[in-house]
Amino acid sequence: MTEQTIIRFDQVTKQYDHDQAVLNNVSFEIERGKFYTLLGPSGCGKTTILRLIAGFTEPSQGKIYFNGQIINTVPANKRQVNTVFQDYALFPHLNVFENVAFGLRIKKMKQSQITEKVKEALRFVNLEGYDHRTISEMSGGQKQRVAIARAIVNEPEVILLDEPLSALDLKLRTEMQYELRDLQKRLGITFIFVTHDQEEALAMSDEIFVINKGSIQQSGSPIDIYDEPINRFVADFIGESNIIPGTMRQDFLVNFADKDFECVDKGFDANEAVEVVIRPEDLEITEPSLGKLQVRVDSQLFRGVHFEICCFDEAGNEWLVHSTKRAQVGETIGLNFSPEAIHVMRFGETEEEFDKRLEAYDG
Amino acid sequence: MQTRYKNIYLIPYVLWIVLFVIAPILLIIYYSFFNIEGHLTFDNYIQFFTPVYLKMAASSFWYAFLIMAISLIIAYPTALLLTRTKHKQLWLLLIILPTWINLLLKAYAFLGIFGTYGPANTFLQFIGIGTKQLLFTDFSFLFVSVYIFIPFMILPIFNALEELNPSLIDASRDLGGSPWTTFRRVIFPLTLDGVKSGCQAVFIPALSLFMITRLIAGNRVITLGTAIEEHFLVTQDWGMGATIAVFLIIAMAIIMILTGKRRRG
Ligand SMILES: Nc1ncnc2c1ncn2[C@@H]1O[C@H](COP(=O)(O)OP(=O)(O)OP(=O)(O)O)[C@@H](O)[C@H]1O
Ligand SMILES: [Mg+2]
Repeated sequence: MTEQTIIRFDQVTKQYDHDQAVLNNVSFEIERGKFYTLLGPSGCGKTTILRLIAGFTEPSQGKIYFNGQIINTVPANKRQVNTVFQDYALFPHLNVFENVAFGLRIKKMKQSQITEKVKEALRFVNLEGYDHRTISEMSGGQKQRVAIARAIVNEPEVILLDEPLSALDLKLRTEMQYELRDLQKRLGITFIFVTHDQEEALAMSDEIFVINKGSIQQSGSPIDIYDEPINRFVADFIGESNIIPGTMRQDFLVNFADKDFECVDKGFDANEAVEVVIRPEDLEITEPSLGKLQVRVDSQLFRGVHFEICCFDEAGNEWLVHSTKRAQVGETIGLNFSPEAIHVMRFGETEEEFDKRLEAYDG
Repeated sequence: MQTRYKNIYLIPYVLWIVLFVIAPILLIIYYSFFNIEGHLTFDNYIQFFTPVYLKMAASSFWYAFLIMAISLIIAYPTALLLTRTKHKQLWLLLIILPTWINLLLKAYAFLGIFGTYGPANTFLQFIGIGTKQLLFTDFSFLFVSVYIFIPFMILPIFNALEELNPSLIDASRDLGGSPWTTFRRVIFPLTLDGVKSGCQAVFIPALSLFMITRLIAGNRVITLGTAIEEHFLVTQDWGMGATIAVFLIIAMAIIMILTGKRRRG
């Protein structure tokens, strides 16, 4: 743990009544001033992690640290954390201004200061002039923005955002992504952002935690996670990918689709069974004779920016290709890819083992 | 076509309202203009504004208010507790259960309980306070009235609390609100409609209580309800009884309007 650590989960388990654990031995550290994203499918435990940090619920086992202090039982109103709720949780009996001012009034701030801060927060979320609207007069997207304003106006050390952009249209959403990221940098506040949209996670985060079924599968920068997923779940969840069974012949040589290919992975047992990941955009269409692989085009979809081409090789593996070039359904084409485009995954490897293997070889 | 069908469905309801609501009210108003000898007169209305009846009205309002206030003070925390228990439907049923028993039966039961040789006095003796006159006191009157009315206060408040979105409470805590602040600024304002309904459901019937005033309070508490009963059954002055009823109806209407649900934008 360093000076920079603001929140630390130490082997936290959360269980409701006698059900199966919702979170399983989760450990991680959150550093001050960074933008974190919790990414995972519905029901994987993202909201539960936020609720534990905010103090709405206590862990069944394990410890949660905030600025080095254990805060397992500290009540929510004593924590330097504010939340943007998944269902907004705006107060229906108060207007927009009073909703945003709620936290400031509890702090007994002067009226003139409250007015100034609330106006500024509303300006940030593009809701100037909406002060006196009641909550029921606001659209879903506007409510979301009021909820964001209500959290940031308190200038807490950490802001928890539970899918705060999910109700916005694409344009406003992209705009808010930029603005949130910009605000986070300006204020230097730690953001913990929950989403199940992988593109949003990749675009905004300093660090991403990929979660599945109550445990963290992988954590790292967007580029690390995209380029070096540690297992099938992460590879599949972050972007589209071709996951092909293979065998590791030796360091830097992998066999799949009945052929040997040069690669950049190492540290496996000889002839160990592995899974190979190649991203669809890393595959280049060529003449059959020039390609490293020959495949038959099965179907093709126009996706706007690119064509999504589905092919099969002779060994029966399915290959998804993203290409700006059009292919002909039924024809045989060649696929070319660089050794760097190949990523080899060990079966059942945990994040720690993965890191250890890389360290051992990079020395 | 459709509206005509709708009108057909409305007939039983309209008949009911006309026969049992509008006609009796008109009759009451009609009777209120006759004195005991059967002459058309405003005397009854003039008499209502004499100290005897004004005092009676004041005491009716005062006791109804007390019953309502005590019920509210007990009912709100009870409802709050109820929403947090595991088997809330069962507890709720237990609270509603007494309302299914006839009011008179309950009143007679309390005659026994609060009587000189009843269990209440046995208990007082046991803890060393000694036998007390419990029946025919303000205390027993209020106690029994609150006992009878409190389910009607708990129920609407419980429903309002159940409808309250729990993440609003989280949001208030999140923004630094202590449990008390959260109650004052979020929970109570958002369940105010339930409180109002409960107050209405207790205050209005409490205003015209009459059986309990005689049985439990031994006519020491004289309310407008008691007076109406006296005039119709004992003194046979239907005109005066009807006049008091007119004032009661007006009072109830005003209370309904004051505590009526405000529409929220
Ligand atoms: N109060 C509760 N009692 C029992 N189980 C609960 C409770 N709250 C959440 N759960 C369970 O915990 C699991 C994780 O829930 P959580 O809300 O953290 O999911 P999530 O990752 O936020 O999903 P989503 O993306 O759909 O919001 C779910 O299976 C849910 O059913
Ligand atoms: Mg959630």
